[in-house]
Amino acid sequence: MTPTRARLAEIETKLDDGTPLSFDDGVWLYRTPDLCTLGALANRVRERKHGERTYFNVNFHINATNVCHADCKFCSFARLQPGMPQAYTMSLDDIRQKLVERRGQHVTEIHIVNGLHPELPWSYFKDTLRVLKAERPEIHLKAYTAVEIHDFARRYDMTYEQVLRELIDAGLGSMPGGGAEIFAERARRKLCRDKATAEQWLEVHRTAHRLGLRSNCTMLYGTVETLEERVDHMLRLRALQAETGGFQTFIPLSYHPEGNDLGKLPAPTGVDDLRTYAVARLMLDNIEHIKAYWVMLGVKTAQIALGFGADDIDGTVQEEKVYHMAGAETPQVLGRFELVRLIREAGRHAVERDTLYRVLWEDDGAPLPEIRVGASVPYSSGATPRGHLPLAGAEAQP
Amino acid sequence: MSTALRVLGVSFLNARPLVEPLRSDPPLGESGAPLFEVGEALPSACAAALAAGDCDVALVPVATLLDNPQWEVVPDVAIACRGAVQTVVVVAQRPLAALSRIHLDGASRSSALLLRVLLASQGLTPELVVAPHGEGASRVRADEGALVIGDAAFGLTGRFPHVVDLGAQWFHDTGMPMVFALWAARPGALQPEHTRALQQAKLRGRTRIEAYAADYAQARRARGELALPEADYARYLRHAIRYDLDAWEREGLAEYLTRARAVLGAAAEPEDDDVVHVHFADLGYAPLRRRSSGRALSLSQTLDKARAGERLELAEGLLLYDEADLLELGAAADARRAALHPDGVVTYIIDRNVNYTNVCTARCKFCNFYVPPSGKAHDQGAYVLSRETLTQKFRETEALGGIQILLQGGLNPALRLSWYEDLFRWTKTNFRLALHALSPTEIIHLAHLEQLDIREVLLRLRAAGMDSLPGGGAELLHDEIRNRISPFKNTTDEWLEVMRQAHAIGMRTTCTMVFGFQERGDHILTHLDRLRALQDESLAREGGGAFTAFITWPFQAEGTRLKLRDDTSAWRYLRIQALARLYLDNVPNLQVSWPTLGPEVGEVALRFGANDFGSVMIEENVVSQAGAHFMLTAADIEHHIRQAGFVPARRTMRYERLA
Ligand code: SF4
Ligand code: SF4
Repeated sequence: MTPTRARLAEIETKLDDGTPLSFDDGVWLYRTPDLCTLGALANRVRERKHGERTYFNVNFHINATNVCHADCKFCSFARLQPGMPQAYTMSLDDIRQKLVERRGQHVTEIHIVNGLHPELPWSYFKDTLRVLKAERPEIHLKAYTAVEIHDFARRYDMTYEQVLRELIDAGLGSMPGGGAEIFAERARRKLCRDKATAEQWLEVHRTAHRLGLRSNCTMLYGTVETLEERVDHMLRLRALQAETGGFQTFIPLSYHPEGNDLGKLPAPTGVDDLRTYAVARLMLDNIEHIKAYWVMLGVKTAQIALGFGADDIDGTVQEEKVYHMAGAETPQVLGRFELVRLIREAGRHAVERDTLYRVLWEDDGAPLPEIRVGASVPYSSGATPRGHLPLAGAEAQP
Repeated sequence: MSTALRVLGVSFLNARPLVEPLRSDPPLGESGAPLFEVGEALPSACAAALAAGDCDVALVPVATLLDNPQWEVVPDVAIACRGAVQTVVVVAQRPLAALSRIHLDGASRSSALLLRVLLASQGLTPELVVAPHGEGASRVRADEGALVIGDAAFGLTGRFPHVVDLGAQWFHDTGMPMVFALWAARPGALQPEHTRALQQAKLRGRTRIEAYAADYAQARRARGELALPEADYARYLRHAIRYDLDAWEREGLAEYLTRARAVLGAAAEPEDDDVVHVHFADLGYAPLRRRSSGRALSLSQTLDKARAGERLELAEGLLLYDEADLLELGAAADARRAALHPDGVVTYIIDRNVNYTNVCTARCKFCNFYVPPSGKAHDQGAYVLSRETLTQKFRETEALGGIQILLQGGLNPALRLSWYEDLFRWTKTNFRLALHALSPTEIIHLAHLEQLDIREVLLRLRAAGMDSLPGGGAELLHDEIRNRISPFKNTTDEWLEVMRQAHAIGMRTTCTMVFGFQERGDHILTHLDRLRALQDESLAREGGGAFTAFITWPFQAEGTRLKLRDDTSAWRYLRIQALARLYLDNVPNLQVSWPTLGPEVGEVALRFGANDFGSVMIEENVVSQAGAHFMLTAADIEHHIRQAGFVPARRTMRYERLA
């Protein structure tokens, strides 16, 4: 047996026994050139957990403001002050309007993430949730990253727990996983020294889990971090999960270089994306789901990721124009049937879920209606500038 | 179940080689019962009977297909001409342009339509009046001509000072053959045995031409009619009339139908903008066998075999296509790639795709690039690139370190072989660029246009500077699919023959496959199998050329007229590419198609059997008009190659590395 085969066999045994993989295992897996074998390992774990099931949900995003006082190097909207040309802040009525214009439409979740606005009152953030709840009480609100929660606590002089309790009262259903970036201090200092630290980010989630909230977690990769730091990041998430069990989904987010201070870095690439999905699936044995965020990856890579450990492909995203700010070329929204078709073409079984992974619909294999014959879906996402604010953009004020 | 199909033939002399063998030697079906029951009528009556359901199969004038696009046409059989036909003529005392009235023949609306098409192209508008069959010639006056068709036209040549042969005139106007009649059938009537029997009847009929000519002459004499010498009739059947429906005839057919539709002023054009529908009957290609050599196949054994580089049988390839997992195929293909290219180098080339003309007669349904030579799209941006434009493109290419031009275009009847020869010589004189030029489709077109052998065309083009041949125009090498998506373009055999000839004169070529036309696994495997078989043949030849590389990509449907939906996902692409690596054991290189899939998937594809990243520059209008828009620099490509874990190197078309 070659050393490579021996190492692989060792890792396979651990996976079969349910022994968590070590830091060294993770780094070794990251470095193996044999992409398909790595994928096959991850796929075994994925299929053991979920079979052919591949989840999606029907949601839309609101970014109520892109004003932010932080200065994250990878974020195209850092340093936006109120009143700057591209800056915007929605009024509560604008926010309500987002639902009014969708009256009668099937939506199960709203994903709300904002910049760290230096001047808005605390009530604004609670009222955001209230107006949405008043309009459509049945829709789940997944709102505010740990970075924002940390910022609220600091600015309005409250504990994380107080912030979260008040938001829960206002209608908060769960928390998105953004703002984690990369935990390693060396990289974090370079990337985003003036926002929540790794410990603070983890502490917010710990608190949220204790209060009964579920949340997601993310990792930004492809900037200045090393492979070791990626594995370290995953292990810190795994440790908190072992403690609380509150994470539902891990979402790797690849860095895209356009329009920010790190522009010189080469874009992450298909192989790196797939490797990251696979390693995440193998390392994070205690997190149920791995999400391939198709808006970011492009549908083609996202589809392939379904064979490399991912079991979730995110929502059918309806607010298309946000996504092609800063150079992303292809403005399409992936319709529900396009999404189901994509999943079928990967030999998988589509399941519509709600935010908490309750099954709402399952693919019964019935023929799908033709939506747009001959239309294609995005080949590649191009660039989506993102920080903890995945969709910030110079969207004109309504 | 086997009631004979009612066939209506035509009584004209030129139809005898197609119809007589059905009578003299009635084809029998598998059950031993006759396949056909044969009757005869005038051409227009044939079409009417088929439309009315009074017969199942008829020899119909081609223009009737415009109103009956659902009819199934027997492939490879026609009554056609390449130039003078002798039996469709306008006779007059003056030139055509000086006529104020032309008497038509009541027996054939289609000849009248051909006349109208030709008049329209010259801007002539004489009055057209219908005369009873056979009487037209007697009505010729000073400025009144007559259209005379069929056997009545023989022997008129010397009697009028002006005789316009419409076959010759059409050839002069368009540079293409004229197709007059085809075997058409009501949809569903033809079983493969019928189609084959009609094709075989043609082959037999052609061997009996002298006998038909003699019979015909005798019969005329017996009726007291004027008859030409038998040898004249035989010469007519042998040389004026052509009974094959080659790629060139199909081009002429498409062109004629387009012009005829314009002349008829068909208001209601089909919504898909496809003015020409011809539906060829399938030949009932035998589906591939699921097992070979009488033993059951096991997936894991087949994968092991593939990974070890052993030759796969068709049935084994099909098993992998149907059942192997994406990652199993990928790992096996990656192992094959590593065995064939153990140094871990992935190559790419700097070249530029130049489409020298978009005028094309072939009208492939999947193509949104072409403009037909005539018809309503005539002024919709038809172009032939000028030397100035080419100079600019070639200069830019050289400036960017490019070493080659991939030169392809439509089938433009206005561009003769000498045009290409001049272009190639000019390129070689002025630039240091290799010419990877002209797909088999274009070579076939040129061979027809110049009435030369394929080999001759290739030799002349090579002498002028052509270095190698790209593998375009293959799409799916299975006529069942081709009949559906590109009925007028070259067949599988025609495409392969060009490659065979190119290899035989020592030329390197590439080969391609486009999927996503709702093909089945056995279509794909047949395609790969035929490439592999040809490559075996070529490699066995001393000093011959061969395929250097294979490239596959999914069909880009956006903006084309082909209204179909198929799996063209990245997932399927990776599976098919990996399968190709395993099956095409004798083609050394596999190129990813990042222009259609994006560089991310292109990079991943390097771990699914490919060892080449293709070309830096993209300017292939045929693809880019259908929705793929990517540009990569050499640095980008090298980045992607490194990301996949390989060492990048530039290469030539022959896959020689550049320092
Ligand atoms: S990533 Fe978030 S916190 Fe950082 S600058 Fe961007 S919006 Fe502000
Ligand atoms: S694919 Fe080629 S042969 Fe077919 S219509 Fe287009 S240009 Fe012509």
